[in-house]
Amino acid sequence: MSSTTGAEIVRLEGVTKRFPGVLANDRVDLSIMGGEIHAIVGENGAGKSTLMKILYGLYRPDSGTIYLRGAKQSIDGPGRAVALGIGMVHQHFMLIPAFTVTENIILGHEPSRTFLNFKKVATHIGELCRKYGFSLDPGAPVSSLSVGEQQRVEILKVLYRGADVLILDEPTAVLVPQEVAELFNNLRALKAAGKTIIFISHKLDEVLEIADRVSVLRQGRMVGTVEAARTDKRALAEMMVGRPVLFDLTKPQVTPGDVLLDVSGLTVPGRGTRPVVNAASFKVRAGEVYGIAGVEGNGQTELIEAVMGLRKPIAGAVHLQGQAATGLTPGELRRRGLAFIPEDRHKRGLVLPMTIWENLILGFHRDPGFSKPSGLNLKSIMSHSNEMKKRFDIRLSRLENPVLALSGGNQQKVILAREFSHDPRVIIASQPSRGLDIGATEFVHQQILKAKGAGKAVLLLSADLEEVMSLADRIGVIYNGEIVAELAADQVTPQELGLYMTGGKRQTREGVPA
Amino acid sequence: MGVSELLASALRMSVPILLTALGAVYTERAGVVNIGLEGMMIAGTFWGAVGSFYYGPFVGVLLGMLAGMLLALIHAVASVTFKINQIVSGVAMNILAAGLTRFLCIQFFSMATTSPQVHSFKAWSIPLLDQVSFLKPVVTGVSPLIVVALLLVPVTYYVLNRTVFGLRLRSVGENPLAADTLGVNVTLTQYAGVLISGALAGLAGTYLAVEHTGMYIEGMTQGRGFIALAAMIFGNWAPVGAMWASFLFGLSESISFRVVASKIPYQFIKMIPYVVTLVVLAGVIRRATPPAADGVPYERGGE
Amino acid sequence: MSEMTTPNAGQAPVPETPAPSRRRFRLLPADPQARRFFWWQAATPFLAILFASFIGSLIMLAIGKNPFMVYAEMFSFSFGRIDSVGTILFRATPLIFAGLASALSFRINLFNIGVEGQYLIGAVFASIVGFSLKGLPAFIHLPLVILAAMLGGVLWAWLPAYLKVKRGVHEVISTIMMNYVAFSLMHWLIADIFIDRSQVIGAGGYGSPRVRMPLIEQSARIPTMHGFFAHFGINFPSHVYVNWLLFVGIALAGVMYYVIWRTPFGYEIRAVAQNPDAAEAAGINAKRQMFRTFLLSGAIAGLVGLSDLLAYFGYLDIDFPRGRGFDGIAVALLGKNDPFGVIIGAVLFGFLSRGAEGVQVFSGVPAEVITIIQGVMILSIVVAYEIVSRYIRIQKKKEAQ
Repeated sequence: MSSTTGAEIVRLEGVTKRFPGVLANDRVDLSIMGGEIHAIVGENGAGKSTLMKILYGLYRPDSGTIYLRGAKQSIDGPGRAVALGIGMVHQHFMLIPAFTVTENIILGHEPSRTFLNFKKVATHIGELCRKYGFSLDPGAPVSSLSVGEQQRVEILKVLYRGADVLILDEPTAVLVPQEVAELFNNLRALKAAGKTIIFISHKLDEVLEIADRVSVLRQGRMVGTVEAARTDKRALAEMMVGRPVLFDLTKPQVTPGDVLLDVSGLTVPGRGTRPVVNAASFKVRAGEVYGIAGVEGNGQTELIEAVMGLRKPIAGAVHLQGQAATGLTPGELRRRGLAFIPEDRHKRGLVLPMTIWENLILGFHRDPGFSKPSGLNLKSIMSHSNEMKKRFDIRLSRLENPVLALSGGNQQKVILAREFSHDPRVIIASQPSRGLDIGATEFVHQQILKAKGAGKAVLLLSADLEEVMSLADRIGVIYNGEIVAELAADQVTPQELGLYMTGGKRQTREGVPA
Repeated sequence: MGVSELLASALRMSVPILLTALGAVYTERAGVVNIGLEGMMIAGTFWGAVGSFYYGPFVGVLLGMLAGMLLALIHAVASVTFKINQIVSGVAMNILAAGLTRFLCIQFFSMATTSPQVHSFKAWSIPLLDQVSFLKPVVTGVSPLIVVALLLVPVTYYVLNRTVFGLRLRSVGENPLAADTLGVNVTLTQYAGVLISGALAGLAGTYLAVEHTGMYIEGMTQGRGFIALAAMIFGNWAPVGAMWASFLFGLSESISFRVVASKIPYQFIKMIPYVVTLVVLAGVIRRATPPAADGVPYERGGE
Repeated sequence: MSEMTTPNAGQAPVPETPAPSRRRFRLLPADPQARRFFWWQAATPFLAILFASFIGSLIMLAIGKNPFMVYAEMFSFSFGRIDSVGTILFRATPLIFAGLASALSFRINLFNIGVEGQYLIGAVFASIVGFSLKGLPAFIHLPLVILAAMLGGVLWAWLPAYLKVKRGVHEVISTIMMNYVAFSLMHWLIADIFIDRSQVIGAGGYGSPRVRMPLIEQSARIPTMHGFFAHFGINFPSHVYVNWLLFVGIALAGVMYYVIWRTPFGYEIRAVAQNPDAAEAAGINAKRQMFRTFLLSGAIAGLVGLSDLLAYFGYLDIDFPRGRGFDGIAVALLGKNDPFGVIIGAVLFGFLSRGAEGVQVFSGVPAEVITIIQGVMILSIVVAYEIVSRYIRIQKKKEAQ
């Protein structure tokens, strides 16, 4: 397929897609050349994923035309896209953990219609791996693979289907710097073999490093396409946001006070014999943001759940404001001044079908302010909700609407409003800006720094290194359930953090405070 | 009463549970919970008896399976296409089946609750093995459907793990979104799983009416459809496990038949299968790993 | 999903949402959007009933009956006679309790299919307290009997609830097993333990003795509502047994409505049902709430048998009516788990069962046809609700942006 190199391979003309209440793509034009790495950048909500899902046949455009190798095509489903040589690696992997690598790769595209011949398939997959320099065990269950390896399975799936246009949706969002470097090597090998790569991202440094050309989307519209070599980060950012962007947040300078959250030797049992969290220790002081960095799946979720009383530790202790708090229920912890912004707001943070006002009092519904002996005190709940709406700038039409009708940013504001309104002393914020656009992210970051300025202790978990480094004062790195390093945020580089996060390096025992 | 007679009886009693449990494996591995299997079994008892009464046991089997599949089709339409709660739909299937069979029984046999005696299959004896005196009760006078049920265990294992259909079926139960994006037709695959479960539950009902009792009696399934679900769970959603679990439940039933001479009131003996089911479920359910998307209706994004 | 969020910029500020005046009960929601959806939702059950009647018509045609005549017969028999109206209310009474019990468990996403067993055990407890305590005044004895019935229901709901919360056993399978055990247990208690040995031979020396428990004391019988209805000029004949439990059931529905929508306890039920993980993270003990709600459902289930036991039979025998639990599931689904919807559903089922008798006698249509209509009705009603609620969800999403 290297014959297509240099010629236009994909062309979108006037593609428009509307969702209830949102114009996701507004007359978008796009031209992709064969054999290039073409980045598509834009904020969350700018319409990047929608555009790519249209190209991959997951959504039908309301209007607009798609040309492939010069011919007009109607892509009515992923099957059609695959037949046309288009493959997609989704941001959230579409893998089946219970299946092996081989089963995942061949699913939907089995070599025969009836019986499975694993031997024949294995040779084919082996060839692909050799050709592009991938290392994978085809018989291993996907649940046992690292995130980087799972991504390779996804890319192999696409190659196995004979794709020569690969769409990668935010492929680096889940990777540490070292894995990103490896991914980029793989992508360069694919490019050398004549494949075309569409690379969706909002991380401008990476885009400038890997892409040949960059197209920018803003609020569903195509702003323009530029050569990567002839632009820079600041110019791209302005195209994305439509105004100059400040990259640095100013951390308020606060002298840390007393230790408000003290976690010592916390150990949480896992599925097997090895604990998922192994003797984790750290202290968070008043007026301090303590960041925990780590590749997802290294025990940070379980660590937080154990601190929050949602999971039982087998050893170790948690002290809240100097008092023993191990084994308390989430309700008791909250009453003692712990606030919680969960990593998955749909799973742990909100009851989506319930109304906005009901979500604003979740967990506080038995407070004397909100309930009387005869039942819920609707009058005071409503005045509280209206106040929260103003204070946290929640954009909503009616408090009676279900919270699922809100945008992601406004949903997160509902959680912030709820958690911050009861004057907590310690705030646990887990992936607080995940999936939010730049405006909402800025708002969340400001709230966190404001809380720090007000003398609260903040424990921040994030998979986004930039976020951790820009907000935290100190950073603990979690790897394999252990805190392997504790570093001052202004004295560490992302590369060094990445090394700790992947187990390439660890501080000596003495370096880790007991 | 010898041990081998008890085993033979246990085997006979476990067949309807086994067949239905295998059906449950198909539907649940495709991610659809089918609590209506009891009703599909009831349909099988009645239509099996009707077919067998008029045209002989082969037609009985055919009609019994078709009746089960018809109810399964309704369940699939309701729970896969319309995405209503699968438990609700299953419960409705059970109510519907009970009402329908009673009505039809009056229409066909002019009696509300039983059919006349119907034709059975000619019983088989397994050659050579029937010479061994210990095995004799187990291998003589065997219904062909028992053999079919036992053969279906390896067949189901093979289908699930070594065929394209099985791979797709499992993928839909684990992660329908992933399967969908890879071009697997989620709806069709789930329909297939549900329909197979209906056919097997219908076959199980037919076995009860045609082979085990020789007639249709209202309520003769006695909750075996639910016990089969328990067997499938106990068997960890896998055919071989379901077989051992079904045998355990079959054994508990056959023991309950045999404790007649004791001082235990017979009402308590009648409770044995149900109590055993409760105990088994309470004891082992923790290590069970259901398919990741079991019971969750699949919705394509971007509605 | 994240791609579908609205960019916040450029959105007009929205006016203050006034506190909704939910102080008093109102039938129609105040705001126009909600009112429109209300009518959509209100229309769905009627469409489903029509569809089910249509299926029923097909069956009647198949057995050579004119469906219009049959339905006409059903209506005139059910509403043309005062005793039919009373009977419908009497039949609806246990179904109100069964429907409320099912609906309460459905509200927290648990499927208590065990109402059947729970009411049998409730009836056993009520019967024992009813015949063994003698000489008590009615105002003590009757409440004791009602409490005993609730206790029986709770007891029978306890094990499935415990197994669900502690061992993860699916409550559908466990409650069904409990139903079978309950029937055998009741059978044993009647036939072997508490059998009324005073009555050896049937009345007048004919027939075989009835296998039943002793007669329940008059002080534990529930009075009929005949006197009450007479105030309104409605005089039910004596072979109609409509009794004060009907009133209790309606009152209970009101209480349940208030608890679910106006109290922290009900708030927790709804939060746990729709997202147990978030409820737990917010400090609600989801499992405890499930456990309590399930037991409460069992307590209501215990009352199902009382109308038959205390107003009609006066004793508990092995032919005590069964299947009310499953009817209760249907009634709950019909009423969309809304307490007042349950009452409507129960009356509808009461009408269907009375009408079935009418058409069986006067039109020669087997009563089972009505059972089939009931089955179809459940299914079509849930399908219809699902379609409508999906439509409303999309509309709300559209308008909320």
